[in-house]
Amino acid sequence: MSAVLSPQPLLRKEDQRLITGTGQFTSDAWEQGTLHAVMVRSDHAHARFQADWSAVRQAPGVRCVLTAQDVTAAGFAALVNAVTVKDAQGQPQVICRMPVLAQAKVLYVGQPMAMVIADTAELAANAAEMAEIDYETLPCAVTFEDATAPGAVQLHEEAPGNTSVVFEAGDRAAVDAAFARAAMTSNVKVVSQRLIPAPMEPRAVQVWHDAATGLTHVRTPTQGLVSMLGMFTTITGWPADSIRIHTQDVGGSFGLRGTATSEHVLLMLAARTLGRPVRWISSRSETFLSDWHGRALTLHGHIALDAQGRILAIRFDNQVDAGAFNVYFSTHIGARNLSITMGGVYKVPALHMRSHIYYTNTVPVSAYRGAGRPDLAYAIERLVDHAAHEHGLDPVAIRRLNFIPPADFPYTTANGTVYDNGQFERIMDCALTDSDAAGVAQRRERARSRGRLFGRGLAYYLESSGPGAAAKDQVRGRIEAGGLTLHAISGASGQGHETSFARIVERELGLPSQRVRFVAGEVGRDLVGNSTGGSRTLYGLGSAIVDLCRQLMDHGRPQVAQLWGCTPEQVLIEGGHWRHAGREMGFEAWLDQAGAEGLELIGQASSGATFPNGCHIAEVEIDPQTGVCDLVGYWAADDVGEVISPKQLIGQVHGGVVQGLGQAFGEHAVYDRETGQLLSGSFMDYAMPRAGILHGFHHQSVPVPTKLNMLGAKGVGESGCSGSLPALANAVVDALRPLGIQQADMPFSPARLWDLMQSARS
Amino acid sequence: MQIQLTLNGTVRQLDVPDHTLLVNVIREHCGLTGTHVGCDTTQCGCCTVHLNGRAVKSCTVLAAQADGGQVTTIEGLGQDGLHPVQEAFSRCHGLQCGFCTPGMIMASVDLLRHIPQPSREQIEEGLEGNLCRCTGYVNIVEAVHEAAQVMQGSQA
Repeated sequence: MSAVLSPQPLLRKEDQRLITGTGQFTSDAWEQGTLHAVMVRSDHAHARFQADWSAVRQAPGVRCVLTAQDVTAAGFAALVNAVTVKDAQGQPQVICRMPVLAQAKVLYVGQPMAMVIADTAELAANAAEMAEIDYETLPCAVTFEDATAPGAVQLHEEAPGNTSVVFEAGDRAAVDAAFARAAMTSNVKVVSQRLIPAPMEPRAVQVWHDAATGLTHVRTPTQGLVSMLGMFTTITGWPADSIRIHTQDVGGSFGLRGTATSEHVLLMLAARTLGRPVRWISSRSETFLSDWHGRALTLHGHIALDAQGRILAIRFDNQVDAGAFNVYFSTHIGARNLSITMGGVYKVPALHMRSHIYYTNTVPVSAYRGAGRPDLAYAIERLVDHAAHEHGLDPVAIRRLNFIPPADFPYTTANGTVYDNGQFERIMDCALTDSDAAGVAQRRERARSRGRLFGRGLAYYLESSGPGAAAKDQVRGRIEAGGLTLHAISGASGQGHETSFARIVERELGLPSQRVRFVAGEVGRDLVGNSTGGSRTLYGLGSAIVDLCRQLMDHGRPQVAQLWGCTPEQVLIEGGHWRHAGREMGFEAWLDQAGAEGLELIGQASSGATFPNGCHIAEVEIDPQTGVCDLVGYWAADDVGEVISPKQLIGQVHGGVVQGLGQAFGEHAVYDRETGQLLSGSFMDYAMPRAGILHGFHHQSVPVPTKLNMLGAKGVGESGCSGSLPALANAVVDALRPLGIQQADMPFSPARLWDLMQSARS
Repeated sequence: MQIQLTLNGTVRQLDVPDHTLLVNVIREHCGLTGTHVGCDTTQCGCCTVHLNGRAVKSCTVLAAQADGGQVTTIEGLGQDGLHPVQEAFSRCHGLQCGFCTPGMIMASVDLLRHIPQPSREQIEEGLEGNLCRCTGYVNIVEAVHEAAQVMQGSQA
């Protein structure tokens, strides 16, 4: 082995354990005597059923079979839906919560019906096979058309027309009036297809109950303690202080790890009942059928322009597939996230949107990286591009004409959202220059001479990062072992919090990041805070850390004054230093001298939503013979505000852009319309992005710091896919336009592009 | 059945059911949990280890096939310090959540053993059997490229 020791330090604190295989993911540790659980799931998309579990109960090694009767006997409620809204008439939304286990009726393939617990996973799986389930199958609906057509099969008695709500926002009359007087109008319908989030760590849960303390311990991947704990208490009815949640390393989340699921609460029940530790580890095939799906949105945009190309109004008519039940986030996606930035980066006098949230016999839909915001950016930027081409306007010029200019900030949109700042034209110019806009014609011609179709797409996205569910974020700082330990609620799933938050302390106090330790989860249970999500944790919790650092400096001031024989007021605080009359002391020196061991302070900050934005440009070449589309260039200029860790920032951008590339070129959760079976149910059928999907990537960060939080950061986690979806779609349509094609839906697979080109030619 | 294998230099004798997979021997019987299971169709590569000097996906190898063999996992890769590939993954930020990382590193080490100075295309092709959801692969390719240069330098 040619291992050599290098003097260069590792980039992140997390890396040492993760590159040596000593990380602790949920399935990496288990107690002696742990029992194993396997789920029995519905084989049918829509059916009534009767089940006989007696053979399962008598099978070798089986300790327990939990069914809907056990859930009812335990007094458990259904799974939690996070947000509800009202329709335009003020009627409350119909909410169909998902039962922990199906009783008498199943509504999608994969719906949990029972949990089998045995001495080994293999015995549990063998026993589960012995379940005698009689299904009486019913017709199913997996598309909007099938779900909402007159006479369609009904999934829930309480939801006529399979409709949860038709939500409206904005001013319909003003938009209608604008369209009536418009010189030009245009419309385009985009489908942001259903995706499988597929973080690399499959979902896993372990639970053990300590009878002596009465505590139930749950080990599982989370995005932070607070949202999952709240759901556990809501579902089980158990007091929050009887539940402990343990998480160290989380193998990716992308919105998926925020919720309590059937498996969690069933294991909690089993561990208390059996008095033994129990674990469930999902197989990948099972994650396809049981992890909440993402996207599944159809957005029909309409735009009204005056004779010069100024936007008069934008209207969206959206179809939001909730799947079989309202779980957690689909309403938040369909209502809030599709409406609050629906004018994008443009001055639009009138806005109106309508979102029809409906049920289908499919896996329920929840948050996936951006949760509606990338989809909306995709729709707006396709709409503007489409309108420009339809009416012979230059797509860059129409954007330039309509951008909200810097002088107009703070800018209140027609539906009431206040954008704090932005320099859209400047940032678009950065991207244009970087991407050699002047050389486009030459590149197009070169591709043509090689028999390939060249396309260039530009998009300017803006999104609203998460406001957070809690009113503020808190952090506890404790001086211990000669360093500063930080405790908080917000857990990471790959973002590198341990590194970034230590770096914020280093920036504020000059204390080397090696002397700062960040721990999230149970240690922060007494604190207020948010789970990680919505691109907000760096600035949300990070601002609380800035506040903590300032408090630490204030705390040390009287001691320093005493040392120097002056009054505290005479001591100035500047950048982690105290200064007076030519004397200076840094925080690190104070820590070493003052012996503040055991000092504890709580830092806190309230940070609302911000507006990350940027311009992405993609160039593609399509082979007309095969339909293969190659990405040949990608340029991004992003304003995500102040940057804390440049290398981690670019990592987030890469990841986000490639999740957009995955959606654009391959990923698609496909259901069979007749049977409701998931046809793309494994990595063999579901085309995940692979190495080499993105090269020639050019990025520049153009920060326009926000004043909405103490760091000036806007958040970066979800901006990558918000920029890449529309840039890629505009590029592909641009390449196909010479064939008379004006619109194409993702994924732009070779087969789909070839079909489109064949139809256009014939 | 009885099997014997040398795992990271230590001889192990085990009595396991015939159908036991190598990954289960590594994780469950030997307690080395750095080798991860990310799928059940041999697509993701999270479980990549070296068997007799070749990268294999240990979820698709029976323990019986490793009988008498030499197995190296991520835990055994840098026994005298970090391997240059491990260091390069960190320095180039080739990992975020870290779940795919052990398999990705083991596949990369194998790639560099066969092609010490790979082109970017060769790296991309060589890692085609390993999935990552966080990084977009850009920095992973960069890390393998950098490790190749470091390793060449250390041999000179």
